[in-house]
Amino acid sequence: MNMKCCMKMRSVLRNAGIAMGLSFLLFLSGCTTLTNNMQEQVLDAKRKIIPSLVHIRPVKEVFVQGKRQEVLALGSGFIISKDGYVVTNEHVAGESSQVICVLDDNTELEARVIGTDPDTDIAVLKLESDQALAFARFGSSASLESGDFVLAMGSPHGLSRSASLGIISLTDRYLGELGGITAPYNNWIQTDAAINKGNSGGPLVNLKGEVIGINTLAMLGAENVGFAIPADSAREIVDAIIAHGRVQRSSLGLSFQEMHAKTDDKTVKGVVIADVSPLSPAAESGVKAGDVLVSINDKKVNAYYEEELPAVRKQIADLPVNEKAVLQILRGNEPLSIEATTEEKMASKGTQVEFHEWGFTAMEMTPELARRAQLPQRQGILVSGCTPGGLAAVSGIVAGDILLEMDDEPISSLTQFDELYRKNLAAHKKYVMLFVKRGAVTRFALMNTDALGDAVIDKEILEYVD
Amino acid sequence: MLIKSFVSVGLLTILLLVGVSYADDFSPEKVETFFKKWSPTLCVLKFTQTALDPRTGEEQQQPGSALAVLVSADGLLMTNGYIQRENISSSNFRAVVVQDEKEIEYQATLLEKPRDVNLSFLRIKSDSPVNLPYLHFLENAAMKLGEEVAILGVMSENMDFHPSLSLARIAAVLEQPRTTYCIDIPLKLGAVTGPVMNKQGEVIGVTGFELSANEGGDLYTRSGHPMIFQSGLFMHYINNPPGERLEDDSGTEEAWLGVFTQPLKEEYAEYWGIDKPGGLIVSTLVPDSPAEAAGLQVGDIIRVFDGQPIVAVLDRDVLSFTKMVRAKEAGARLPVEILRDKEPLTIEVILGRRPRSTQEADEYTDETLGIVVRELTQDLRTLFNLGEDVQGVIVRRVISGSAAQIARMQPGIIIMSLGNTAVSSLEDYKEAIAAIEHEKPLDISVFARAGTATGFFRLKPRW
Repeated sequence: MNMKCCMKMRSVLRNAGIAMGLSFLLFLSGCTTLTNNMQEQVLDAKRKIIPSLVHIRPVKEVFVQGKRQEVLALGSGFIISKDGYVVTNEHVAGESSQVICVLDDNTELEARVIGTDPDTDIAVLKLESDQALAFARFGSSASLESGDFVLAMGSPHGLSRSASLGIISLTDRYLGELGGITAPYNNWIQTDAAINKGNSGGPLVNLKGEVIGINTLAMLGAENVGFAIPADSAREIVDAIIAHGRVQRSSLGLSFQEMHAKTDDKTVKGVVIADVSPLSPAAESGVKAGDVLVSINDKKVNAYYEEELPAVRKQIADLPVNEKAVLQILRGNEPLSIEATTEEKMASKGTQVEFHEWGFTAMEMTPELARRAQLPQRQGILVSGCTPGGLAAVSGIVAGDILLEMDDEPISSLTQFDELYRKNLAAHKKYVMLFVKRGAVTRFALMNTDALGDAVIDKEILEYVD
Repeated sequence: MLIKSFVSVGLLTILLLVGVSYADDFSPEKVETFFKKWSPTLCVLKFTQTALDPRTGEEQQQPGSALAVLVSADGLLMTNGYIQRENISSSNFRAVVVQDEKEIEYQATLLEKPRDVNLSFLRIKSDSPVNLPYLHFLENAAMKLGEEVAILGVMSENMDFHPSLSLARIAAVLEQPRTTYCIDIPLKLGAVTGPVMNKQGEVIGVTGFELSANEGGDLYTRSGHPMIFQSGLFMHYINNPPGERLEDDSGTEEAWLGVFTQPLKEEYAEYWGIDKPGGLIVSTLVPDSPAEAAGLQVGDIIRVFDGQPIVAVLDRDVLSFTKMVRAKEAGARLPVEILRDKEPLTIEVILGRRPRSTQEADEYTDETLGIVVRELTQDLRTLFNLGEDVQGVIVRRVISGSAAQIARMQPGIIIMSLGNTAVSSLEDYKEAIAAIEHEKPLDISVFARAGTATGFFRLKPRW
């Protein structure tokens, strides 16, 4: 709907309002005390938050068809300290080259990104201001109950300083891998307070005027099904980012499934190990898929239903990095004690770089990507896009290919490849040979830097198995 | 399905048709005689068609039917070759013939498809010897342009496959690559493979659309000109029927090397400092393949294969090599001359059998859990990029309302164990299910792989 249309609607509504006002008043007069009380509470809560509300306009880096581009995005956030720390979503402020924040009084300030955590979708920014800034306080999300009134505040579709009212629909929604969004370490607060595009990163507020969640997701095609990161989870991440610039987590290489997937017997406590990543600490110490994990370092673990899984994952993530952990395991009926050394969990989001002269963008391989590609270890870089007609595209490289070698030299990281790329450009080499993996098949791709422009692609199928 | 009273209904149809416009060429009396003589050789072939999407593993089954003709007294059937085309397999053949005004349904076995003509042959299975009416063909009929022919066929299924007759004229006489006749009417499905008669009532051939010699076809009429396959094209198959299609457990008869290759184009030769372009670069070695066993390496360049020089410079040349390998004998020892780091080297390879593809794989319908599972073939391993550690059977179909569907199983997942029994083959699976059926447990834990993740499904069969 465009703006003009909105205005027209509004005047129509106003006219109708005059006629309908009377009947509404009559209807409401019976419950005046409750309504007034509630109205006051909503106003109080809003007034407490509004001065700390931030409208965020990040300039985001996106990689489209082998090119790096900058686009202006929209989001919300809120100030949490008088010296100007701002909390928002990672998907708002991550991968941005510039972040502009507009405060409640229309002051525009440029923010610095202190750190981001893609696993929880949280980012912390810092504003520099001469005066002390108004800030919002976190409340506790543990004491919430579905049915509690909440306000969602932020900039839906870029309309700053908006507020909407609703209730908490559920306090611990497990989303799993719904729609490709993973929140491995937390459940979600589900609310019917309207959350739209642009609300991302804004606060979900209780009637005491405390932030009890960060509005992050809305279900597409549904109405009033929005999700917020619970404040208790968020606060911990925010503290870690402010202190260290990032969130460090441990990993053992385990994937979990709820006990319900194995048994109806609720008295069996533990969690099912669904998968063990190859070469991970757990795999090396002999943990097998199908084992039931009972405790870690004498602390019991238990997840009978899937919404209890995030807590188990967090329990492992919170272990100190590079230290021995003792896992009590049930294999069939046999109890086992297994020792494994934790390793630091790698970033789940790889950085991206554009290689302009060769017409493609590439991404760092994460352990998960390496695993999907059936690579025995993390090696190579992943082509994320190719410019049509560019050197890479003409040489038969497509998005999704993994570059394993360049001129017989194994590619180990994006940084190392970038170095090789620069050396190659400086040397004006005519040919560059890439060794590429696509699915289960590897192939050679020769880039002829001279031939660009008049190259003819042989469009027939490139390989056959013999 | 019924083939009702062939004669009376047929007669009516013909009288009508003949009365309208063809009285001069085919008199009603003539047509009636011919019809009586040849229509008992018609037969409706019913079968199950299975098309497979190798990516999703989804399989679509639908009933199919076709017209077939009896070409020998002991039950040799001939039909159009489309029932044996690539990517679609047909099975469970039943042939319905009318004998003494009674309808008899026989099971039939598919025979090996001829390479040079788009026809398929089947043999009727019967415990006692059969003596059936069959078509006698006139060899080398010299038809003229414009000459009239009568074509026997059946109508569609919703008309109970009633026999029918069409009249057509020779619309073109093609001389190259061999004398072939085109006819001037579109061919209804029920008339494909229908016997074609001349005015003397002699059967000169059957109708068809030409696609042959490995479906390439030397007369390419996918656009739909109906033709007459003259008896000379297929008589030798009737006199000397092809063998039964081999159901082999270990693989096909075709030879296999197990490499993916790329042509050595001029630029590649220049880059590697090789004098002459032409050859095949080994780009991927299939694990456990004959190529791997022979010590071929990625980056080797094949220049001579079994004495034949390989001068591949175009991407499509790879195909010719594939054909060349396939044509060899599985088990043959062959010298392969390669370049490794510019040095010539001769390697002896022992060709293997091409592993069975998805289409040829065995499958098993498990009524207990409600799934159809299939063995994991090499092509699926390549397609899904599965490591050697992944052993199991793949779920092709989840039966609606079954225990498997309730547990949210999906086609495409790979079952690796049932309960505590590891499953690495279809046989393992069958055994495990037999044990489960014996023990009747309340629930069964299934360990499976979906995409790159593994996990458990808990199924509760209804005993």
